Amino acid sequence: MIGFIKKDLAMIKSNFKLLGFLVIIYIVMILLGYMDISFILPFMSVMIIISTFSYDNYNKWDAYSISLPNGRKNNVKSKYITTILMLLLVSIIIVILSFIISYINTQTINYEQTLISTLGTIFGTLLVLTFMYPIIYKFGVEKARILIFIIVFGLAIIIGLISKYIDLSNILKSLSFLENYLVIILIITSIIMVYISYKISEKIFMNKEF
Amino acid sequence: MDNILEIKNLCKKYDNFELKNISFKLPKGMIMGLIGENGAGKTTTIKAILNIITSYSGDIKIFGLSNKNETIKEDIGIVLDDMFFPEIITPKDINNSMKNIYKNWDSKIFNDYLKKFSLPNKQIKTFSKGMRKKLEIATSLSHHPKLLILDEPTSGLDPIARDEVTNILQKFIENENCSILLSSHNTTDLEHIADYITFINNGEVILSKTTNELLDKYGIVKCTEKEFKDINTKDYIKYKKTKYGYEILVENKKDFKEKYNIKIIDKVTLDELMILMIKGVK
Repeated sequence: MIGFIKKDLAMIKSNFKLLGFLVIIYIVMILLGYMDISFILPFMSVMIIISTFSYDNYNKWDAYSISLPNGRKNNVKSKYITTILMLLLVSIIIVILSFIISYINTQTINYEQTLISTLGTIFGTLLVLTFMYPIIYKFGVEKARILIFIIVFGLAIIIGLISKYIDLSNILKSLSFLENYLVIILIITSIIMVYISYKISEKIFMNKEF
Repeated sequence: MDNILEIKNLCKKYDNFELKNISFKLPKGMIMGLIGENGAGKTTTIKAILNIITSYSGDIKIFGLSNKNETIKEDIGIVLDDMFFPEIITPKDINNSMKNIYKNWDSKIFNDYLKKFSLPNKQIKTFSKGMRKKLEIATSLSHHPKLLILDEPTSGLDPIARDEVTNILQKFIENENCSILLSSHNTTDLEHIADYITFINNGEVILSKTTNELLDKYGIVKCTEKEFKDINTKDYIKYKKTKYGYEILVENKKDFKEKYNIKIIDKVTLDELMILMIKGVK
C-alpha cells in the first residue's frame, strides 16, 4: 500500500508550488487586515486531490493498478490515506500560520478558537470528500462532478424548503448543550464518516470492471 | 506444473460482443503470440487473465493457481495497451512506488533499462509514444517476473526499438521457467520469436498451434479458376479471389501437393493467414 501512497504523493507533489503560493497569499491577506481566508487551503487541497482522480482516469491507472499485487484494495486505501495525510498537512500549516500571524500582529491568540475553526474547516472538507469518493469510484470523476452538483443543489433546495416551514433555530438551540463536546464530536464523526465512505468505495472498486 | 498459464472455457458476454469458450495453454519457457483483428477479443482475454474484468465464466490458472490469488501477481510483468501510471509522474516516482509494490522490485535493473532506452527523468507526459512504451516495458521487466503478459508492447516503436525489445524478450525466455503471452499486430516479429500462435477471431479461438507447424505445414496455393474448380472443398480452409486467379489456404501443403497437380504453393505468413481466415470464403 505504501507504494500506492507514494504514487499519489508524487502526483500531488507537482501541485506543491501552487499550495506554497496560496500560503503566501493567505499570509499577505491576513497581514493586510482582509478577511480570514483559511478555508482556501483545505479547499485547494480538495481540488488537488480530485485532480489526481482525473489523471488516474485519463491514463487508465485504475485498470493498470488492478494487475499489480493487491491492486484493488490498495488503490482505494491509498487514496483515503493520502487524503487524510494531505488534510493533516494543511491543518498543521493553518495552525502554524495562525501562530506566526498572531506573533507578527502581537495579538494574543485564542488557542481553543483556532483549534476549533481549523477542525471545523477540515471536518467540512472531509464531509465533502467522503461524500464524493464513492460517487467518483462508481461513476468516474467526470460524471461524479455533475452528479455532486445536482445532489448539493437538490439538498440546498430541500433544506431551504424545510426551514421555511419548520423553525430550525429551535432545534439548533436544543442542541447547544453539545457545544462543550464539539471537538470530540467532530473527531468521532469524521472517523465514522471516513470509515463508512471507505467501505462503500472499496466495495464498489472490488467489483468494478474496466 | 508444466503450463505457466492455462485458460479453460473462458466466456464473457457484453451487449455487442462475446468471448466464446476461449481455451489455450502456455507451457514453461515458451512465447505465445495472440493475434487477431482489432476488437477480436485479445485485450478482453488479457483483462480476464489479470482480473481487470471479473464477471466471466471459465477457469484461469497461472503458475497452477487460480488467477484470483493475489500472490501470483508478484511474478507477472505487464504491459497493457494505453493503461499505465498517470502522466504527471516521472520514472523516478515509478521506481519509488514500485519498490513498495513488488517484493522483488530491482531498482538497478529498472535504472539500467532507463539508460538503455535513453529515457530521461521527466514527467511521462513529455514522452513520445515510443518512449512511453519503452518505459512500460522497463517497468514490466524490473521485478524478476516469471510470466510476461504484454498487450501490444511494440506498437508505436520504430524498427530499431522493436528489434531491441524483441532481443530483450528472447533473452528473458532464456530462463526456461519463464514464459511470455504477447498480443501484437507486428506479425513478422511474432514469426521470429513466438513458439505458439493463438488466433482469436470474433471472440473465439480459431487456431492455436506451434509457429513452426503453422509456417511449415500451412500453405497458400495460387491457381487459375479452372484449377480451383477441380479442388474438393474439404481440401482447403478458405479461398480468396484475386486479380490473377485464386489464393487458397491449405492446412497441409505437402498432402495437397501430392493430391493435386498445382505448381505454386507458397509458405504462408501470419498476415496472409489472418487475412484469408477472416476475409476468405469457404
